[in-house]
Amino acid sequence: MNKSLKQIGITGGKGGTGKSTISILLANKLVDQGKKVVLCDCDVECPNEYLLLDEKLNNEIDQVFVEFPELIKEKCTKCGLCVKTCQENAIFQPKGGYPVFINDLCSACGACKIVCPNNAIKNREEKIGKIYRNNINSNFVLVSGLSKPGFEETSVVVRKLKKIALNIAKKESADVILFDTAAGTHCSVISALMGVNKAYAVTEPTPLGAYDLDIILELCKKLKIDTEVIINQSNIGNKDVIKPIVDKYSLKIRTEIPYSKKLVERYSKGKLKNFKELNEKITL
Amino acid sequence: MKKSPYKIVIASGKGGVGKSMLTSGLAYLFGKDEKITAVDCDVDTPNLHIWLNEIEDWESSTPIQTSKKPVIDYEKCNGCGKCVQNCNFNALKMKEGKPQLNSFLCEGCGACKVTCPQNAIKLKSISNGKIRKKKTKYGFNLISGSLFPGETGSGKIVTELKKEADKEKVEYQIIDSPPGTGCPVIASLRDADLCILITEPTLSGFSDIKRIFELVKYFDLDYKVVCNKWDINKKIFQKIKNWKKDNFIGKISYNKKIFELISKLEPIMKTDLKVKDEIVKIYDKIKKEIK
Repeated sequence: MNKSLKQIGITGGKGGTGKSTISILLANKLVDQGKKVVLCDCDVECPNEYLLLDEKLNNEIDQVFVEFPELIKEKCTKCGLCVKTCQENAIFQPKGGYPVFINDLCSACGACKIVCPNNAIKNREEKIGKIYRNNINSNFVLVSGLSKPGFEETSVVVRKLKKIALNIAKKESADVILFDTAAGTHCSVISALMGVNKAYAVTEPTPLGAYDLDIILELCKKLKIDTEVIINQSNIGNKDVIKPIVDKYSLKIRTEIPYSKKLVERYSKGKLKNFKELNEKITL
Repeated sequence: MKKSPYKIVIASGKGGVGKSMLTSGLAYLFGKDEKITAVDCDVDTPNLHIWLNEIEDWESSTPIQTSKKPVIDYEKCNGCGKCVQNCNFNALKMKEGKPQLNSFLCEGCGACKVTCPQNAIKLKSISNGKIRKKKTKYGFNLISGSLFPGETGSGKIVTELKKEADKEKVEYQIIDSPPGTGCPVIASLRDADLCILITEPTLSGFSDIKRIFELVKYFDLDYKVVCNKWDINKKIFQKIKNWKKDNFIGKISYNKKIFELISKLEPIMKTDLKVKDEIVKIYDKIKKEIK
């Protein structure tokens, strides 16, 4: 691994606080400073970065597969061990019948296959995600993932995506890789944040932002990630509610980004490529 | 025929487009006419109580265990590494000849346990969240789940939460879904009678409502479409409106004041903002649809 590669996570807990926007503004600024940047959009359920950069997801560079269980009826003795083992309740066995695998609930962990005493379960490979690459400019690569609707364990896609993005960063001798996470704190967010050197938690100056910031900062603390807070749209609402949360974790507010009509407009149309208006505010 | 309780789920794909705001408004309106329960399924970052201007004096807060983690007996373990090979979530790594668990990545599936030839691994239940309940000032109950930060199993917390909600004898459940399309979202809406899909007129908002729509289609659910902050980009708004024309039931205007109101913890349904009337219109259309 490239020793000088800096890995930064952009997160926030609450949705719609500006994680993707800040990720792009930060990438733009770093590129402006002569750095080579890889931006990795870890919101594989609803990826947006490509839209904000006026790009299309048409350059598929890899795929993500998992192995779902499939029954070999001839070998199955209906013993029910797989049903008992499955922690997701994804195997249903009607009385006296063969077990039925419910794909929507299955996490593709493979425990049923391992436990089956008759080798009556085989793997059926299924594509559950795609990975895309967009070259924004010669110093800025965007890597995005897209999960298949209906598949629950989207963190599997995030992990593969990160691996590929890190490889690209290495090949391109990038200085920084940015991981923009989904909203929330669940497994896909944890997977996105795992291994970063630094995280920025983006929040908004409302009680909602404060409540969710508390939760995400608790997560970052548990993951032992050096974190700082960014208040977006800092001049609307009431930012007094944010400070006590930041103090609770003895952290710093890195920067405050005021509401900008121009930014909102550019955001809605997907025109954030080369947006530099707020560059002096992005002090990372 | 309307079944009881009739479950209305507000979902969006994209975060921050107004799910909880609309849920709070609809709960307020439904609650005036009918027996309802409001359910906050955004267990990662539950905010519905804030929109309802309710403080966190929960009448009950019950810890739940929907997550399991392996415990390795290092006396029995001979370091064969089979558990590491069989973990599909990268949660086990060999360190100094023995497997070591990264519990943040562990899904608690138990593949390691069943593969261990030494019987050295047991699964232990973990308290990973809580279910909270209170009677709101509006008269209806609010049930809200919360996932402890760093724990896994948010989808299962949602499932437990919904079981708890199903115990209440009401006409309607007004359910706030988390953003995204992953496991907690699937658990929130798989048995919905009606999904209200809400978005904003941005390219991201339009793209993400299409993502949640794929999920809704996958589970063959009824749905309606609402556009929040419709006036921030009228061109994209028109596209969203025309996208599922027959299912489009309303728009909500952008107003910076909402930021101030929520900061002062004032419920929007008790103001005279245009937003309020717009939500009432949406409510009327939903009621007409159900009857």
